[in-house]
Amino acid sequence: MRIEVVRSGGFAAIPRRATLDTAGRSDAALLESLARSALDSPGPARPPVPDGFGYVLTVDGREVRCADPGLTPAQRELITHVLHEGA
Amino acid sequence: MGVFCTIVPPHILDRLARSDDPELSGTARHTLEHDARQRTRRGLHAAIGPTAAPRAGTGPAEPAKGADQPQRTIYDAQHKDDLPGHEIRAEGAKASTDASVNRAYDGLGATFATYLTAYARHSIDGRGLPLNASVHYLKGYNNAFWNGEQMVFGDGDGRIFLDFTLPVDVIGHELTHGVTQFTANLDYQGQSGALNESVSDVFGSLIKQFTLQQTAEQADWLIGAGLLAPGIHGVALRSMKAPGTAYDDPHLGKDPQPGTMDGYVSGSDDNGGVHINSGIPNHAFYLTAAALGGHAWKQAGQIWYDTLTGGSLASNADFAGFAAATLAAAKARYGEGAQYQAVRAAWSTVGVTTAAAGSAELPRQQPGEQTQEA
Repeated sequence: MRIEVVRSGGFAAIPRRATLDTAGRSDAALLESLARSALDSPGPARPPVPDGFGYVLTVDGREVRCADPGLTPAQRELITHVLHEGA
Repeated sequence: MGVFCTIVPPHILDRLARSDDPELSGTARHTLEHDARQRTRRGLHAAIGPTAAPRAGTGPAEPAKGADQPQRTIYDAQHKDDLPGHEIRAEGAKASTDASVNRAYDGLGATFATYLTAYARHSIDGRGLPLNASVHYLKGYNNAFWNGEQMVFGDGDGRIFLDFTLPVDVIGHELTHGVTQFTANLDYQGQSGALNESVSDVFGSLIKQFTLQQTAEQADWLIGAGLLAPGIHGVALRSMKAPGTAYDDPHLGKDPQPGTMDGYVSGSDDNGGVHINSGIPNHAFYLTAAALGGHAWKQAGQIWYDTLTGGSLASNADFAGFAAATLAAAKARYGEGAQYQAVRAAWSTVGVTTAAAGSAELPRQQPGEQTQEA
């Protein structure tokens, strides 16, 4: 499973982009479960929060958009592990 | 290793992210177990609406109008995303042992004092709204934001960013998003979004200048000075005096802000580049303040404040519409003297064509168009 995270916005507006492939990883099952959960629970649609991070998650071609502070726990965990950045 | 990854460029991040992360499994499993329950809670929260969140100083439904003292409450989010978190310091309470709490408390106070003293505005809604802030949001979180009700601060990861409560202009910036929300309510998208950002930078900087009692000449005109970690090549996140020069670092890239319409950036990221193109109106404000001299919150700041709060600015205003509104505000308060001329020259220098004063609704500016007036 290929998981991509693109982050934009934020007070500093430093863009971040990272991709992870679960193939061959010992934690592949967990990551894939996390990704499916992240896709299936986009959270309530809200207007953008000033200075909030916005994210585009793409999992094997399926895309979901989400934004702080409305991330589900699965989305936040996934983003944190793919971007390797506090989220 | 995981923390260091946060500061490398995206293409290297891509490569590093493919390696196994032994720290993942525990937290991930925990997260998955709680996800279904969380979805239920979120649905409920969405149905009730955002005002269901706990507030400080509740009691009378309406805060006292015109109170000359802030009503602050600082919470500790304890590295989670449940807001506001645990109350640590209420208005009038003695200082906490937590420096982040005290900086947030003081920054809210500085913001309240500036708006009250300079513009006779009582808190961000003009009606004494209690000011709430949460610190220690999530873990190593490189951001701060206004969620429509309160301020939220991350600790920074310590590698690129330090604690977001450190610069008072960051606190002033976030609270000014609240002021904008209660006044012109500029759409957070495209040029109106860049104006929303710029207004927060303008008053964030003015709150710092007021606190330090600096003149326009003495001020650094930086946003986020003191926020970058040691070793990062930069002085701040944005420069109103010289947009595009705040940082140039392998981990951050180069400050992308333009100072004139020649450098206007089109694109969909960041709600249409709201943090990039804000450099243009930021620079127009700086030029106005520099031309007028003295304390920038007094005349230049008054003109921008009148523009924001005057009631005639459209929520979807573009740069030209905003520029025209600043000209109208300058004329209404000071006549067609030095203030009006300074505003007019500033917008001309940054390449924004100002419609005639009084016709603020006519957008005329095209990205990339450079206009110089005599």
